[in-house]
Amino acid sequence: MRKILLGTTAVVGAALLGPSLAQAQEAPTVRIGGFFRSYYGYIQQTGTESVTNNTIPTNVSGVGANQAPDASNHRARLGKHDFSTNAEVHVFVNGKAANGLTYGAVIEINFDQQEGRSIDQRRGSTGKTTAALDEAYAFIAMPQLGQIRFGDEDGPLGGLMNAGVITNFGTGGIYGEWEDFVTRQRAARTQTAPGGLGDSTKIIYLSPQFFGFDFGASFAPNYNEGADTGCTNDVASGWCDRAYAFTGASNFGIAAAGPNQAARRNEYQLAARWRGSFGGVGLAIAGGYIGSTAKRELTAANITSTNPNAPGVIASGTQHRVFNNLNVWTIGAQATAYGFTVGANWTYGDANFFWGNTFRGDRPMNQYMVGLSYTNGPFTIGANYVFGTFEGGSRSAYNPAAAGVGSTTGLVPNTCAPGASCTLASMRRWGYGIGGNYRLAPGLDLIAEWVSYRVFERNRDLDPVQPGIQSRANADVFLTGVRLAF
Amino acid sequence: MRHASRLALALALLGLAAAACGETRSVRNDEYGDDSRRARVQGRLSGASDGLVIFGVDRSRPPGSAGDPGGGPGLGVNAYLWRATLDTLSFMPLASADPFGGVIITDWYSPPAEPGERFRATAYLLGRTLRSDNVRVSVFRQVRDRNGNWVDQPVSPGTAAALEDSILARARELRSQSLAAR
Repeated sequence: MRKILLGTTAVVGAALLGPSLAQAQEAPTVRIGGFFRSYYGYIQQTGTESVTNNTIPTNVSGVGANQAPDASNHRARLGKHDFSTNAEVHVFVNGKAANGLTYGAVIEINFDQQEGRSIDQRRGSTGKTTAALDEAYAFIAMPQLGQIRFGDEDGPLGGLMNAGVITNFGTGGIYGEWEDFVTRQRAARTQTAPGGLGDSTKIIYLSPQFFGFDFGASFAPNYNEGADTGCTNDVASGWCDRAYAFTGASNFGIAAAGPNQAARRNEYQLAARWRGSFGGVGLAIAGGYIGSTAKRELTAANITSTNPNAPGVIASGTQHRVFNNLNVWTIGAQATAYGFTVGANWTYGDANFFWGNTFRGDRPMNQYMVGLSYTNGPFTIGANYVFGTFEGGSRSAYNPAAAGVGSTTGLVPNTCAPGASCTLASMRRWGYGIGGNYRLAPGLDLIAEWVSYRVFERNRDLDPVQPGIQSRANADVFLTGVRLAF
Repeated sequence: MRHASRLALALALLGLAAAACGETRSVRNDEYGDDSRRARVQGRLSGASDGLVIFGVDRSRPPGSAGDPGGGPGLGVNAYLWRATLDTLSFMPLASADPFGGVIITDWYSPPAEPGERFRATAYLLGRTLRSDNVRVSVFRQVRDRNGNWVDQPVSPGTAAALEDSILARARELRSQSLAAR
């Protein structure tokens, strides 16, 4: 027995560490790929007419204005038709060493960095089509050991190894490009696609496949991407990538659009999947977990408690743990046969609708997704549906003075005045997409798609520019057009 | 966090154990999800390869396709079938081989044990994919008569099929060798 064990160990050692088969070394190749699309959209949504005034400037008055709110507020009305284009350019580098090691890098440049218009001065502004780095990572892979990816990339759970998310028709149905046509009235857009977890700079391990199984794990120290520290001036501030406690952290449970500012820290993802087939039916099952810690609030001055039960002074420099750790499980499955693909996915845990950290005491997210698609020759049609419950506003607010001395969170429960907009209700979100595409030529698709999306939160005003408390926000979009990949 | 660390350690050990298994295969980059909008488009204008090559030589074509490096670029037919046919018919002298038209013609060959009998074979390769119906072999047989002239004779019906089977078996072998070396 001992001999057998020793022998087995020796064979395993040789397989893992010994010289591999002599292989042809390949000089690196550099490839350019990309994407272009142009769509027409017809949009019906709430929040398209500001009946009450809002406070963005009516005009830019030239030098020195710098987007200061104009004294005279203004109103606006939005139409229902629009055209929209978008493009991406990707660079792929691939090489292979003589020992079988493959390596390379992927650099993706997109041109929709800025969602909103930025008019700084009459002759000094930034266009919506600003180029920005999307995913950018290097990989090193050995056939028997798997691969390491290091850089700005989705994690194993955040897009690499998911199952049951059926988006292979139209532009992706409910996770498609209808969002480019919809204004954000209380975020009437979907954010909970796996890719919504973000491309924060991380290190990822992806295993080889064995008996149909493979798995992956990743770690990211914080939410940020790209180069440099993020600090906006010479001193330590909450804008710095490495900040773990700062004044105002409680505002970043939902990531700030654009600057990658969020409370998430020490994010780790684990995912595993099995792929195989039974009697001509292709099957995939995948599950995973994402966890993280969160940045903390930091008091910037001595604060006198107003809580009679916890009187005293909260010292300057006190940390408050206002956020739950990110703590989300997901599982999905899909089957493919005879051109049909059907799948379902379930996600549950402590996160808000934007994959951000919730306040302590807030509800977890609970979301289901189902989808079906059918491909026959150049035609693909499909539909998907998503339903989820989330924390709406929040059940508490950060108020260290009211929380009092000794509170570890600095949170106090919110209360609702009768008849006023209230953040205590749970938020429901659901929507469906139906779409199809026709392959005119390899890489060239004609698309048509219909998406309907609803947000409901009882007694919370989801459309503040309409009179009264609007508990709903709706968006319906029809889009059609052409897209091309090379 | 401690549970997660243990889980990660367990997964890493599992990975090492798996690496020792015969059933292990490396996962290609295109088997992972990709949330870029480019990835949502099925197919590419540039064909099967991922993007347009601007530097270097494309060696990523699917095995057995026209540009597969295993068989050498420039073939008009399946590289594995081509090499397998050459291997299989190599016991006969080669008269002509056209890799673009997919025709291999041997010269007459007499088995040493049967000097009064000779054979000639013509193989047609019909496509770029590794399929059983993409190879056809015709065998011709002549026997020397009393006057010393070669006279055409029928070939036993299974001979051509047996040669085709040998070619396909050899092609499969070449393909699996090629995949194992990747």
